[in-house]
Amino acid sequence: MIEILQHGLYTSIQDMGRFDYQSFGVPLSGALDQHAYRIGNQLLNNPERAAVLECTLKGPKIRFHKNSYIALTGADIQPQLNGKPIKNQTPIEVKENDVLELGTAKIGCRAYLAIAGGIKTEKVLGSRSQFKGLTREERISKKILLPTGDSNFKPVKGARLQIPNLDFNQKTLEVYVGPEYHLLKKAQKKILEESTFTLSELNNRMAYQFNEKLPHQLPQIWTAPVLPGTVQCTPDGSLIILMRDAQVTGGYPRLFQLTDGALHQLAQKKTHEKIQFKILTSIE
Amino acid sequence: MTKNPLNFRVLALHPKVLLLEWDQEPSETLLAFLLSFQIILEKQVKVTRCTMGYQSLLVHLLVDMKSLAWWKQRLLELQPKVENQTVNKGRHWKIPICYEPEYAPDLLALAEAVQLKPEEVVQLHTQTRYRVYFLGFLPGFLYLNGLDKRLYCPRKEKPLLKVPKGVVGIGGMQTGIYPSSSPGGWHLVGTTPLSLFDAQQQPPCFATAGDWISFESIDSKNYKALQKKINQGTFRLKPHD
Repeated sequence: MIEILQHGLYTSIQDMGRFDYQSFGVPLSGALDQHAYRIGNQLLNNPERAAVLECTLKGPKIRFHKNSYIALTGADIQPQLNGKPIKNQTPIEVKENDVLELGTAKIGCRAYLAIAGGIKTEKVLGSRSQFKGLTREERISKKILLPTGDSNFKPVKGARLQIPNLDFNQKTLEVYVGPEYHLLKKAQKKILEESTFTLSELNNRMAYQFNEKLPHQLPQIWTAPVLPGTVQCTPDGSLIILMRDAQVTGGYPRLFQLTDGALHQLAQKKTHEKIQFKILTSIE
Repeated sequence: MTKNPLNFRVLALHPKVLLLEWDQEPSETLLAFLLSFQIILEKQVKVTRCTMGYQSLLVHLLVDMKSLAWWKQRLLELQPKVENQTVNKGRHWKIPICYEPEYAPDLLALAEAVQLKPEEVVQLHTQTRYRVYFLGFLPGFLYLNGLDKRLYCPRKEKPLLKVPKGVVGIGGMQTGIYPSSSPGGWHLVGTTPLSLFDAQQQPPCFATAGDWISFESIDSKNYKALQKKINQGTFRLKPHD
């Protein structure tokens, strides 16, 4: 069991997401940075789909009710255990009554707190990911006790996990062209390929928007299935990148589709940060 | 003349995602074809799931595709199976709606806009059998086809920030039920006491793509009685026929 003493800015329980209910209109959900999420569980030998806490910009303060191990991945959120700084990306032993305090994200935007055995809140439609209207709470917004699973994890001395370096300063987002991209004029394609786009304040688990607009005359499309990483363009030229809580269908032209890597990278960007699109060769 | 539903384009949106898109207006013929294609595709070991739109199918793959050409060939090979697949005729659900003013804040305004009497609007709205083309927008939101042309009406200029759960709207060429409270720009012409989505139920929504929906007018007394039954858990909607 862990006790949330302070909930932080936007903290939610997330796992790999809900895969089987999109035909009922249920969003995928799950950790936005699936790469960091996966590493956290791997470090603790957790089941692949174990639930973790996703902590955004300012993390929560937590008391442990039993001895366990934790791992922090993703953004560097300046974690302290009983007042002493601890490392990211490695298993950390915690004792009953220890207090973990997560600070503000110094590099990146979202930190993941995995705990040995995973968080064991109720599964709804196959997932513990919190989502408005599905789970009892849409995020952690009060002092609360969260059940955790059993685990006999012990770190093996000398064992190391090969973790690829994450570069949160990387500006480039790799994309594939979307179904309506070819309808754009040359000049518009040039803007998309060469300009830098600034992340607007409208960024959350559903979608990210940018300050710059792309004037266009693209027609509306018949409502079509969309997925996280789809880059849509609204009639006023706003670019919208769908994230994991996005609705499953959309009616705006689809310009790009982000790679998984680009989607994880974008999840670590903060308001006002800049990005650039890099178009990959289409799969033949 | 309807175009051959076999003509579609295939795009690799992502190494794990194929998009099949038909360049034709949504129709019953196309819907039947999409539903059959979905059944066949979901039986393929390399496919995890499909999602649907008016004229497209998104196919999620188990592993990264090595070549799009291979998939194009495979889709061609599957087509005879798709044509032989029994068409999902769909079940018919009758949804009780209360159109009384308390439950239908925009019925009068809509009636005026389309130059009909409110009772004529209700008459036209309840006499149609609507086809469920797919679900999207919100969990349990049904995209319905078949709204009577006389009820077409542009969306409201100012969307409401919070349309209550269960409200039935008309906007543009569409009609639908808000399964949960949400912002919305449609004209609110009635309310159902039924839940269109319940995450604790299996399946979470009674209707699926290919089903039929019709609306049945009930008065506020029946609305309240039905609501009571629903709250007590003693009511379960059954398909008609």
